[in-house]
Formats: sequence, C-alpha cells, structure tokens
Amino acid sequence: MYQVSRRQALLAIGAFTLTIAGCGSDEPEQGKDLSPNKDGAMAKYGVGDQFKATAPLTFSILYLNHPNYPLKKDWLFWSELNKRTGVTLTPTLVPLSDYEQKRSLVIGAGDAPLIIPKTYPGQEVPFVASGTILPVSDHLDLMPHFKDKVAKWNLQADVDTLRQSDGRFYLLPGLHEEIWLDYSLAVRTDILEKLGLEVPKTWEELYTVLKAMKAEYPDLYPFSDRWGIPTPGGNLLNIVGQAYGAPGGWGYLPARWDATAGKFAFTGAMDQYRQMLVYLNKLVKEKLLDPESFTQTDDAAKQKFVSGKTFVTGTNAQTLVNDYRPPMEKLNPDAKIAKIPVPTGPLGEVKYGNRLENGIMISKKALESKNFVAMMQFIDWLWYSDQGEEFAKWGVEGVTSTKDASGEFKLAPDVDFIGLNPEGKKHLQKDFGFSNGVFAYGGTTKLLESTFSEEELAFQAVMKTRKARPVEPPRPFSDEEREQASLWETPLKDYVTQMTLKFILGDRDLGEWDAYVKELEAKNMTSYMNLVNGAYERFKKEHG
Amino acid sequence: MVTLATSRGYRIFQAVNAVILTGVVVVTLYPFVNIVARSFSEESYIASGQVNLIPRGFNLTTYQIVASDPMFWTNYRNTVVYTVVATLISIVLTTCYAYVLSKKHLRGRKTLVAIALFTMFFSGGLIPNYVLVTSLGLKDSIWAIVLPNAINVFNLLVMKAFFEGLPVELEEAAAIDGLSTYGILLRIVLPLSKAVIATMVLFYAVSYWNSWFAAFLYMNESELFPVTVYLRNLIAGATTSENAGAVAGDLTQAAANIQSVTIVLTLIPILVVYPFVQRFFVSGVMLGAVKG
Repeated sequence: MYQVSRRQALLAIGAFTLTIAGCGSDEPEQGKDLSPNKDGAMAKYGVGDQFKATAPLTFSILYLNHPNYPLKKDWLFWSELNKRTGVTLTPTLVPLSDYEQKRSLVIGAGDAPLIIPKTYPGQEVPFVASGTILPVSDHLDLMPHFKDKVAKWNLQADVDTLRQSDGRFYLLPGLHEEIWLDYSLAVRTDILEKLGLEVPKTWEELYTVLKAMKAEYPDLYPFSDRWGIPTPGGNLLNIVGQAYGAPGGWGYLPARWDATAGKFAFTGAMDQYRQMLVYLNKLVKEKLLDPESFTQTDDAAKQKFVSGKTFVTGTNAQTLVNDYRPPMEKLNPDAKIAKIPVPTGPLGEVKYGNRLENGIMISKKALESKNFVAMMQFIDWLWYSDQGEEFAKWGVEGVTSTKDASGEFKLAPDVDFIGLNPEGKKHLQKDFGFSNGVFAYGGTTKLLESTFSEEELAFQAVMKTRKARPVEPPRPFSDEEREQASLWETPLKDYVTQMTLKFILGDRDLGEWDAYVKELEAKNMTSYMNLVNGAYERFKKEHG
Repeated sequence: MVTLATSRGYRIFQAVNAVILTGVVVVTLYPFVNIVARSFSEESYIASGQVNLIPRGFNLTTYQIVASDPMFWTNYRNTVVYTVVATLISIVLTTCYAYVLSKKHLRGRKTLVAIALFTMFFSGGLIPNYVLVTSLGLKDSIWAIVLPNAINVFNLLVMKAFFEGLPVELEEAAAIDGLSTYGILLRIVLPLSKAVIATMVLFYAVSYWNSWFAAFLYMNESELFPVTVYLRNLIAGATTSENAGAVAGDLTQAAANIQSVTIVLTLIPILVVYPFVQRFFVSGVMLGAVKG
C-alpha cells in the first residue's frame, strides 16, 4: 500500500506553511478587552500566589510521550495538579520520535491543542506568519511569575532575541537563572597520572597532553570525538570555536555580532573561525585527533573510547555515567575517566550560552476561550513559579520527596530517580509523573542542580566562574526577507561546512583562506550580510 | 552431446550466480543475525562493539523486561487487529474493484481505471488528508487506519490482469448452468484465484504490519498505537538525553539490547508466516504477469 514517507510529509508541511504564510492577519491584539475571557480566573493573582481556578477548568495540551516514562492516567502528578489548581489537562499524545512533525501537522490543520509545549526557540518561527499562534508578548501582564523572573534574573536581552519583525514574540521560553553548560570532553585520568600530566585547562595544554599520549602510544589516535551526525563536528567545533569567538558545529549561526564594528559578521569568514581551523588542523596533521571524529557515528566513537583505543572524547554529564563508565568498569576496571572543564582559548575564561530553554506556544484559538485569562495564570504558575517548578520536578512533599530547612530536596525512601536512591522500588518519573520533560525544566540554579552528582557540581562550579558573553542583539527578518535569506543561507552553510572539514583534514591548505572568502562572496555572502545588518538596524530603530 | 545444463558457459554462469547470491544472502542475513545476537547480549559488550554474530554475556533479562511492559502487548495486539481487519477490507475491496474492471464489456471502464490511476500519481496532501479523516470522525479509531488507502492501485492492477487472464468460456459455461453474477465470482472465479489472493494478502499484511505513519497521524492515545510506533519511540528515546548531571545511569534508559529485543519480537510473526505463503506468492505474481 502507498505509504507517505517522512520526507514527503515534511515537504507537504513545509509547502503548506509557505502557502499560509501569505495570509497572516496583523490586527493588533494589545489592549484587547479580556473581560469576557475571565471565567475561572483569579481576580488577584501575583508573585508568590498559588493559582487556583475559581471553577473546574480543562485545557488541551500537546503531550510529548517519552518512552522512558510513558504517560499514565493515574499519575499522582495529574491528581495533585487538579487538587492544587483545579485544572485538568487533556493530553493529545504524541510519541517523542516524531513530535515536531505532528506539531506542524496539527497546527497546520487548525487542530492544535491550546497549549503546545516542548518548542525550542526558533521552532516557532514557521508558524508566526500563519497567524495560528498567539503573540504571547501581548499578554505577559497575566503572567506575574514570568515577568518577575525575567526582571530578577535580568533576562530581558535573552527574551528580546525571540522578537519577530513585528516586535512581538510568540514563544514562552523556559527560563534558566544562569547559563548552563553540559558538553565538554571526557579524559582518561589514569593515563594522565601514568604519564605525569595535569588535566589540561586550555586547548593549547590539551595539545601538549595529546602529544605526550601519542609519544607513549604511537599507534593510537589519543582523541576521537563523537556527535558528528547530523552536524559534522557538532560538539567539537562548538566548544573549540567558543574559545576563539566563532562557534561552529551545533553553535554555528550564520552571523555573529561583532561588538567593535557594531554590526554582524559572517561566522564562516571570521578570522576567529580561521584560528579554530588552524588549531584543529594541527591536531589532525600530527595524528593526535582521529580524522573520523567529525563524521563517525556515536557508537563508533564510544567503542573506541571504552575499549581503550582513544583517551579523550566528547561527553556530557549523562554520557559519562551511562555510555562510558558501565562498559569500562567491566572491560577495563583500572580505567578512570572525568569530564573536564571546557578548555579555554584566546578569549580566556568565557562561556557562550543562552538562558532560554524550550518553551510553550499557545494556539490563537485560546484567545476566544472564556477561560483564556485563567489559562495564562495557570501556565504562569506551573511553568514559571518556584512553587510550580518544584512541584513538577520533585513532586509532593512527604510522598515523593522532602525539602529540608536549607531548601535541599531528598527523595522519599521508597522512591528512586536517576540512581539517587537505588533502594527505592518506585520511580519518580515512571510511577508518579514528576521530573517530566514536558513540565519540569529551567528555574533556579539550585533547583536545576538538586539532582546533580558531586562530580557534576564540581564541573558546574568551575564553569560558573566564567564570564558569559553578552547576548547578541535581535535581527528578525520580515517574511519576504526570510524567504530570500534562506535561499542564500543554505548554500552558504553547506559550503562553510564542506570547507571547514577540508581545511581541518588538510584536504585544502589554510593558505587558501582568502580564496575561500572570495568563494563565499560569490555565493552572496555580502548580500546576505547586508540583509542581516539591515534587519538589525530596522529593528533597532522601530523597537529598540 | 552438449545440453544446456552441461555447457561450459552455463556452468560458469551457475558458479557466478552462486557466488553473487551467497553474497546477497550474507548481506541480507547479517543485520538480522546481528540484531538477534545483540538481543541476547549484555549491554557492555554491545557498547564496546564486541557483538557480531554470536551473543556475548548471554542473558534473557531484557526479554523479561520488555515482555513485562503491558503497553508493549497492548500495542502488539493492536498491530495484529489492525493488520487482520485492514487486510480483510483491502482484499474484499480490491477483489471487487479488480473483478469489475476485468470485464471488457463494462461501460465506463476506462473512467473507473483512470480514477484509480489518478490516485496513484496525485494525492490531496498530508494536511487535507488529516482534515478529511478528522472531520469524518475517524480519528482515534481503527477506521482511520484501515479505510484510507484500503485499495492499493498497484495491487488492483495486478489482480485485474489476473482476472482478465481467466478464460471467458469458464464463466459463460457457469452462466449457462444457471449461476448468477455473484455466484460466478464466488464459486468459479475466486476458487481459481487462490494464488493471486494469497499474494495480495501477503502484500497487504506486510505493509500494514510495518506501517506506523497513519497511526501516528490519527491516534492520540498510546493504547491505540500499533507496536511499530512503540518501537520507533523506544529507539528515539534511547538516543535522547534528558536528566543531565545525573548521579548514575538510570534503569529507565532504553538500552541497545532493549531495542534489539523489541525488534526481534516484532519481526517474528511475519517471519513465521512468510514461508507458508511464499509458494503462492511466487506463482501468484508470475501468473498475473504472464497472462496479463
């Protein structure tokens, strides 16, 4: 029988988004009289208040069903949420595997639930022009906790990056108190000890360490990285690029803010980007870095690392304890590994990052609901109040967890979660529905770190001392510009990626850098940058 | 005397043939055997890439874990029900349509063929389909899976060609003996068409068994998903990182061998059915092709 393939489906959705892009409505919503939409809402609701609907309410929600803790209707989370807020959520269940596709479909078909969570900053953009999602920035007055956190944590610049060309934003982002970095390198500390080496603090020190390892084990590549699919060098180009001031890989943005010049520069042509390539090329040339690092599967890199064929690889807190340690303990019990603080470079002790998490889109239909105000208050309480965030993460005091006087959380004796309490027979996520990725994220650093291990806390302590790079100013395109920009962006990005790998692997000499920049110009780099900087200037004038 | 079977050229051909086909068999079988081996192996051996054809650290724990998840069996049952019902509907509808089209004297036959062919090349698109199924009230029911696409045009044409190949005289004789139109179809034509029907059953059943997209689109409850969606989600979950900064690995993490076990369990039924239907399968396709 005829099956619609994923690709066809995506094409169809893309085409549809383009078609409806033309017919967005622009009537201002600000100042709309909300008095008919106040059923169930609290008359007085402010920071620190517990939201409780004045009448039982039901809201539909798009629900990402995680296979590790599939939704159960008898979770304590649902009943307790109802008890505290008077709200019942009716989930439209979507498997995690294809969440984004279903989200596009139901929004495109006008069949979307009112609350659409698990949307990452940037993912809302294709829906903006269709007029099917709500410009939430018009209704922040209904959300005291959100506003409070933005003000208290000085997040305005971060939130401003979400603004579209009309000056509004359409996504309620998850908010972090501080930049939270997780990705770094895992290093075999037992090898360091054996060779009398220190944990490298900078990329140059890492180079020395790798050289020493190579001298001892000449047949091996000491460093082989993972996370090369689908973005080649996703993690490595990102963290090395950050040290130089031009992140690639996952962190690649076509344009980066250049504060001294007061305008945006094309990342792939920045001198900082070139310096990163020079460094990585040196590692590959001296056979310190496995050339497969940029494109191999995670499994391949993992196998090399746990079987002792390499000594350094990419990691985050989770892969360290899940992917590397268990097989190593079995196959190579003497091996010791650690996640080292991200090495630094010419920029010194800095960190790149964003304090916005995935967040919530709201269907425009919600505005017609007589419970609209109550819904916004409810979202504000569950996702943005300290109380709501603690409830979503740790559950009910005395049942799933306890909080002591100093604010430290502890699981109840019979409850387990991520190995914190291996004795516990019940599981915080699976059996109670808390610490659910749909509801629990962001919040205070204290709350975020309440589940961290000692070693991860030590890593975070080092990273916290680093100075955050300033947030880049917003530069939203208009609809027509976006269409033009994406026509230029894709070939430029593909070319940068291709040449990045060629330069690093030595297939192209770095002496040809100027020629490469000329080739980028031939691919409309300058026109693209004019578009970007034009959008920046316009936004600054109109909404700055 | 040199016959075809003893000629030099033929023997060389056979040797080359054997080599190439053995290669094909190895390439086809290896991933399967590897999955089976992984399903019985211990996680650490899989992680370090030491499992190829033979399980290492043999254990059955994962089978027990997967089999103890009630949702797996619920979804498994759904797959069986969806496959059986959908195949039944498809076979009935395809047979009826194909039989009608095989009659040369049917008026408007060309138009009917054209209507079917049109859907082979053009479709309304994803969102219109979704809106249609939703407004018909089929969402969250088995009908959303078994009714749209019930007739596969390719299968329809194969069947039509097969029916056209049946001798007209047979049906004329039956008519003279007093059988009605439906009697002819049920008592004469269908018993003679076992081969092509078995083939169609196989085609339809395999594709419904493997399909996940329709269920993913139209079902909003995990109790209604087929096991393919369950499996897809499980595999996706194993590669998604959450709970960063955790103290230790969590038992809820779907491990590599949980995937293998689920894949094996999902494959078994269709694998068992296949050899029994296959003899029809080969002759059925050939019959339709040659006589058409």
